[in-house]
Amino acid sequence: MSRTYDLVHRTTYSYASPVTDSYGRTTMTPRDLPGQAVLATTVEVDPAPADSSTHIDYYGNRTTYYGVTLPHTQLVVTARSIVEVTRVAATLDSLPPVTWEEAARAVDEGDLAAAVSPDALVALRELVLPSTHVDPGAEVRAWAAPSFAAGRSLGSVLVDLAHRIRTELTYRSGSTTVSTTQAQLLAQGAGVCQDFAHLMIAALRAHGLPARYVSGYIETRPPAGREKLRGADASHAWVSAWVPGAGWVDVDPTNDQFVDDRYVVLGWGRDYQDVPPLRGVIFTEGSGSRLSVAVDLVPAGSTPFL
Amino acid sequence: MRQTPGVTDLLSSPRPAVDGGEPEHRPDWGWLPDPDDVPDDAALARAREDAERLLADHGVTYGADRPEGAGPWRLDPVPVMVDETEWAGLEAALVQRAELLDAVLADVYGARRLLTDSLLPPTAVVAHPGFLRALDGLRLPGGRELVLTATDLVRDPAGGWRAVADRTQAPSGAGYAMEGRRVVAQVLAGVYRQASIQRLGPFFHAMRAALREVAPPHAEQPRIVLLTSGPASETAFDQAYLASMLGLPLVEGPDLLVREGRVWLRALDGLEPVDVVLRRVDAEWCDPLDLRTGSRLGVPGLVRSLRGGAVSVVNPLGASVLENPALLAYLPRLARTVLDQDLALPSAPTWWCGEPTGLQHVLSRLGELVVLPTVRRSTPGLIQGWTLDAAGREALAARIAAEPWAWAAQEPAHRPGSADDETDRAAMLRTYAVAHRGSYAVMAGGLARVAASAVVSSSSGAVAKDVWVLSSQPDPLVPDDDALDAGAGGARLGAAISPRTAENLWWMGRYAERAEDRARLLRVVVDRWDDFHHRPRSAGGRALAVLVQAVEPDDERTGATLRELVLDPRTPTSVTSVLRRLGSSAATVRDQLSTDTFGPLARIDRVLRAERSRRRPAPDEALDLGSYDDPRSATAGLRSVLDQTLEGLLAVAGIAAEGLVRDVGWKFLDAGRRVERAQHVVEHLRATLVERRPTPVEAALVDAVVLSHDSSITFRRRYASGAGVAEALDLLLRDRTNPRALAFQLDRVRENLGTVPAAEHLLADVADLVAELDPAAVSSAEGRRERLAEALDSMAWRLRSAAEEIERVHFARPGPSRALEDPWDAADEGERP
Repeated sequence: MSRTYDLVHRTTYSYASPVTDSYGRTTMTPRDLPGQAVLATTVEVDPAPADSSTHIDYYGNRTTYYGVTLPHTQLVVTARSIVEVTRVAATLDSLPPVTWEEAARAVDEGDLAAAVSPDALVALRELVLPSTHVDPGAEVRAWAAPSFAAGRSLGSVLVDLAHRIRTELTYRSGSTTVSTTQAQLLAQGAGVCQDFAHLMIAALRAHGLPARYVSGYIETRPPAGREKLRGADASHAWVSAWVPGAGWVDVDPTNDQFVDDRYVVLGWGRDYQDVPPLRGVIFTEGSGSRLSVAVDLVPAGSTPFL
Repeated sequence: MRQTPGVTDLLSSPRPAVDGGEPEHRPDWGWLPDPDDVPDDAALARAREDAERLLADHGVTYGADRPEGAGPWRLDPVPVMVDETEWAGLEAALVQRAELLDAVLADVYGARRLLTDSLLPPTAVVAHPGFLRALDGLRLPGGRELVLTATDLVRDPAGGWRAVADRTQAPSGAGYAMEGRRVVAQVLAGVYRQASIQRLGPFFHAMRAALREVAPPHAEQPRIVLLTSGPASETAFDQAYLASMLGLPLVEGPDLLVREGRVWLRALDGLEPVDVVLRRVDAEWCDPLDLRTGSRLGVPGLVRSLRGGAVSVVNPLGASVLENPALLAYLPRLARTVLDQDLALPSAPTWWCGEPTGLQHVLSRLGELVVLPTVRRSTPGLIQGWTLDAAGREALAARIAAEPWAWAAQEPAHRPGSADDETDRAAMLRTYAVAHRGSYAVMAGGLARVAASAVVSSSSGAVAKDVWVLSSQPDPLVPDDDALDAGAGGARLGAAISPRTAENLWWMGRYAERAEDRARLLRVVVDRWDDFHHRPRSAGGRALAVLVQAVEPDDERTGATLRELVLDPRTPTSVTSVLRRLGSSAATVRDQLSTDTFGPLARIDRVLRAERSRRRPAPDEALDLGSYDDPRSATAGLRSVLDQTLEGLLAVAGIAAEGLVRDVGWKFLDAGRRVERAQHVVEHLRATLVERRPTPVEAALVDAVVLSHDSSITFRRRYASGAGVAEALDLLLRDRTNPRALAFQLDRVRENLGTVPAAEHLLADVADLVAELDPAAVSSAEGRRERLAEALDSMAWRLRSAAEEIERVHFARPGPSRALEDPWDAADEGERP
């Protein structure tokens, strides 16, 4: 059973005065993974960059640099991919019955992970630390406490955290920015998928459990009878948690479910900072810009929208 | 810091104490053949004064990042003396340490085999902000990752050396060390000449070789620049001095750009490729795209260029991960694993709180240890546990427990309350090593600093000392420093200078001339003041009134007194204010100038400061010709100050004229001076000679005007008595052989910068106006000399426009950089169906 998608992600910046130089980095081409095969992928920048270069970053993501040196008032970055997804979602029953305390101890003592490879231990230790957008501080600890009953299985903790985020917080587009903290998110009770992912990651790391941030997309044209999913036509983000015996398990707190074949993974890192779809530096005398982002993730062969 | 030769400096090789007690660390002058040559207290006091003056003369400053601005670099000329045999052991240990750190750095950004709990706990690396993931997997050509390293050392109680910290980000202070050596060699010349002191020069030669060594393979004659954090940084002097010592252009981030995957210098006439960047900017600020968003100190795309192998950066971005004090705890076992050797240079005992045993140890001895955040520059800096009360310790313990990996603690070098009562003093030696011929070369000496507190930091007032490594056998007298001034590291970046440098040179020329012009005008006024101010109706008095009016241009009139116009830093038109602007411009282009430039400026500054601090009866009156009881109260002391100022400025001009290569930089310096002088002569004539006045007044005025343009002698020699306005105009406007005349300045500017079409056009117009001017005709007009006024006005605006045109064309910079708006939660603006 597999699904094949056509994926288009287009970002457009418009400026009032000319930009002379524009440098950017994208993480917009999906990863090849077990359960996800990239059949084709391109990144197109308009105006055409004088220089561009693609490499695999520290986390294994494919990232593309561009340098545009033609003066312009509009920059369009378009990523197009064809992806075949065969991922089967985890279920609570399929996960090993390891408790969250055991999982934290395995990371702390390191033997289990080190047995896999030294690099695996480095990665796990790195993913229990705070990071730019993840602050496992007092507010997060207080909020998370009810989910971390002693002796509870890690799988059950994941399900509970995702469910609580889905039910206790409101999804509201435009309610946060890149600099919103977890404390602010909890205080205002509303956010977007990136915030929810960061909150769940913070809760896990606060308890010594490795968690990473996954950037990608979710298919939003639902088969008949299914509820319309949120995060539509935009970048999506969720959480990957390390479960001893099962490895990395992807959970989407925004939609309160394990990640399945309706998701396409672009890449992952410690948090949003490591894998924004696009970041850049421009040289201009002017100020301000208009930004628009359009994403289309549809079954292969659909009429192209973008 | 006052010391006598017998007092400990805490660092010199140990000597038996005079009274038979514990060995002491103090300079030993025993090697001097004649004991009478040992400098006594009086000689040392003189040397200190001389050193202070020399440092000021050389413009050696520190701490421009502080709110109060840069202050003088402080140096105690009494050197730290280390015996050659003791040094040899230390040198070998430092080489081993550098090799070990290099291996760790290569592993951290490569295989990461060392990152295990039994060797180097992974969190000690990945929790440190110096670990830059964007640089993962990159390698420097040349076989070493760590090119430069500095180590801070103290003496332990047993007299041995202990490392307390490694500086691997962008080690500072080597320039200060070299400058300290030059100063001490001069102020203690008597003993210096008799000593066999190991030289510092070879270290800088090795540094140049190392920079060439790491160049990308495609660069046969690598072009190397020093990327500075700018004139407002703490160690701006050190950076600029190092650049000129190594013969490297001093560049700021905006002077560079990345195109086609390469780094380029924005030069005046286009882009020049850059192969190696010696950076003094902290790594995370070096690329606003791949490192810290919003940084303007760096170059967007630098990391991409590194990844493509088109440029090499020294030290490599990410090297500061080795500065984590936690590392000190693991170096012994890393040395055994990596080098199969025991670590030769012990570190001060250090515990990292990221490990349970370390955490426990630190929390149980919090009151005895120096507690260090693992990140340098985080606030607070180091904390001396014993200075905290119980509540303070408790708060600190809570912070440590919350983020244990972010803390380490170290055994203090000198335990408070220990026998030798040195608790209020501390000393540290910074050593330097550079990759060299497959291993490392260590500077034979270093930067010693002594502080009157337990913490040694230049920012909190530590005093530097030169470090003499004394050879047993006499050294062939190799000059230490000047060998380096010749030749450059790799290919010269041609005559390439950035628009920023050109602009600073241009303004340096303008301010130097402006200061000179103002000083001359004021001197002429001061001279006449005492004679004529109380006789306003006399010819001399009426001429003086005109001269006083002309001291300040109408649009900049401040109403200041004569004294303020010379000395007051808050009066924008004062000589002092203009000199300050000159000093700032000069400091930003230190790498372009002869070091001699700064001496005259420092001497002028001393003269002005001395006069400013002198109490003179302060006349309230501004520059009107009111009466004073004692006319000298308005001008007291000024004549001598102005004379000395002019002498100093002439020295600066002479150094520029005789000491600088006629390259493109010099052209801007000279053009700035010429444009300023041209404007000044036109404006001054406009203010003084347009109105027709009675003959005796006019004669006095012409005399003064010609004098204030330094043309008196020619004027008297050339023209018989009775020469007047027409002759003055001829000499000051039309005479192409008079270096003070407008025509002369026009020739020079057009020669220097003939390439700016619009400016060239304007200057040609001025030249035409000068040529067409008939001095006899315009000066003989009845009443007001309208034609002269018109001619001078149209010259003045053209000169101003030409200057603006030159600035616009040559000093154009790219627009400012900024980050693209983050697409965090952006959606399509238009409605989707």
